[in-house]
Amino acid sequence: MRKNHKLPFSSLSERGRKSPRKSPSVYKNHKLLIARSSEHDEKSPNPVRAKSGFDGFKLFVTLPVIIYSLLLIFLPLVYVFFLSFQTSDNYGGYDFKLTLKNYLEAFDPSFLKIFFVSIVIGLLTTFICLLISYPFAIFLRDKPEKTRSLIIKLVMVPFLTNSLIRTYGWITLLRKNGVINSGLLSLGIINSPLNLMYNNLGVIIGMVYTLLPFMILPVVSAVSKVDENLLDAAEDLGASKLEKFFRIYLPLTLPGAFNGSLMVFIPAIGYFFIADILGGGKAMIIGNLVKNQFLIARNWPLGAALSILLLVMTFGLVKLYQKVGGDLDELGG
Amino acid sequence: MKVSKLKTSLVLISLVVVFFGFIIIIHSLKPERAVPETKSLNVLNWTSYIPDDVISDFEKESGIKVNYSTYSSNEELLAKISSAAPGTYDVIFPSDYMVELMIYRDMLEPLDSSRLSNFENINKKFLNQPYDSKNEFSLPFLLATSVLAYDSTKVERISSYRDLLDKNLRNNIILLDDQRIVIGAFLNAEGYSANDTDDAHLEKAYDFYQELKPNIKAFDSDSPKTFFITGEVDVGLVWNAEAILAQGENKNIKISYPAEGFTLSMDNYTIVKGAKNPDGAYEFINYLLRDDICARIVEEYPYISTNKNIESLPEPELDEILSRGTYIENVGTDIKKFDKLWARIK
Repeated sequence: MRKNHKLPFSSLSERGRKSPRKSPSVYKNHKLLIARSSEHDEKSPNPVRAKSGFDGFKLFVTLPVIIYSLLLIFLPLVYVFFLSFQTSDNYGGYDFKLTLKNYLEAFDPSFLKIFFVSIVIGLLTTFICLLISYPFAIFLRDKPEKTRSLIIKLVMVPFLTNSLIRTYGWITLLRKNGVINSGLLSLGIINSPLNLMYNNLGVIIGMVYTLLPFMILPVVSAVSKVDENLLDAAEDLGASKLEKFFRIYLPLTLPGAFNGSLMVFIPAIGYFFIADILGGGKAMIIGNLVKNQFLIARNWPLGAALSILLLVMTFGLVKLYQKVGGDLDELGG
Repeated sequence: MKVSKLKTSLVLISLVVVFFGFIIIIHSLKPERAVPETKSLNVLNWTSYIPDDVISDFEKESGIKVNYSTYSSNEELLAKISSAAPGTYDVIFPSDYMVELMIYRDMLEPLDSSRLSNFENINKKFLNQPYDSKNEFSLPFLLATSVLAYDSTKVERISSYRDLLDKNLRNNIILLDDQRIVIGAFLNAEGYSANDTDDAHLEKAYDFYQELKPNIKAFDSDSPKTFFITGEVDVGLVWNAEAILAQGENKNIKISYPAEGFTLSMDNYTIVKGAKNPDGAYEFINYLLRDDICARIVEEYPYISTNKNIESLPEPELDEILSRGTYIENVGTDIKKFDKLWARIK
């Protein structure tokens, strides 16, 4: 089942190549799928539903979403793809001249350096989020249902405020005369203020803060699904807490952790506003690079090419996620 | 999500066809002349430039609703105008070199100064500059200069760009987030003009940046004064008005005009090509030219007013600034070199 279960775009190229080799049974499966176009769950064993075919009501309720995604996500993406092969006119427009120059330019050493730094920031952010989420999830596992849902709700509360404003709030905490520095100074823990922002550290702090809920939710859900019997058995056999974590929790929750990692890593290389505010306009991530091509350098085709590269990278990660055994539906898609 | 591959590819193909058809239709359509909108005016201006109450008073007096949005560098302004549909903005305030570039790109509406009854208030000294030699498209509004500001109780006197390289200033400098001003300063520091586009000279400017880098805390154009006021930095290359405002909060802040030279930015009233409300635009510009309004603007944001009836700066001092500073010039397609260098710096 999982083999048929691909992202519609990423497997475009494989489509033609693979189909002739398919066994008749797969073809049958295909026909079945066409017949129940709007049917969502192919795992459903109920053949009657397949015969009922076109479900008008379902189509009706999903239509707004379909139109929305086509108009506001898919079409702009096609435009960006198309733009990435055009020639910039230096003034924010483009000349209708097909070229691969933008892609070559995207691999300029100074850009590659930003890609590298950005990926390191993304990985660190992801790692720190994992480090926070696991103990939290294991702590939450044994709590009664009421407490659990309350704590999860608390995790969600920050979403009620605009993330830009929350990021500005961090300035008050992190700056030279900010809450953290003056607190530590007056306690005598440090002698001179720490440089907590306007550098990569500030960017990572901001990213971890903003993206942590995206890691916590999947990890908590994965950890809570771990079979209690396995843990009891491990304990009976004398496993230490660390062993329990590495030999039971970690292997069983890997898809959840990878899911969270994807949802943290991908925004972490793209959230330019956090890099702008807490990085002081000098720590640049791929997101800033793309933004600057559109807003400062007026080189839309190059910006488009960079976005496409970012997209390819993202798709690569999603593929990897599927390889590890992740379910696309769990990505919140 | 689980749809058959055949169906998905069919849908994809038809979508691509529809989309390209859509693009062709858009390209073949001439932009329609929009209906004149006399009750609203779209103004795009620098951040921290005109006090909010000046805008709201204009709305009260004229009955025109002002949609006010901001930008923080000329490049951002150009990007916004080029990407917006014609008629999105009415009045914008580009600096000298950007006026020249916009005239060249046919992005501005001719400006008829005879329609402005307060035109006489402009100091003749600022008129007929090389970027728009007959003021056919623009009229000078405010003069901004880049200056060095420093907290005299924390650091030694700073009077040149070279002084910024001091090892004791680690992580203690703020620079404007503006490519022409900052690269211009680096060029000045190496003894070249801020408008130099020679590759070797630009490379020298980059070397200067490399040496300065450990001292730079942040780039910010929107409100660099905040960095001084909160004690985040003690030294900075900032707009003159920002330095004066920081001085208002902290008396120890001193201002110096760098010995190697500095840049002048004359920001101008202009009307965007295809503006939907040109009459409102003239009314707005005429309002901003009024003596009392000019006074209110420079009181809040102490740039140098072009209004001759306002003493925003003693005459001899103004003349000295004008003679020592250089205007940023339009460098044509060489602007790409600045774009590239800026991408390397940031």
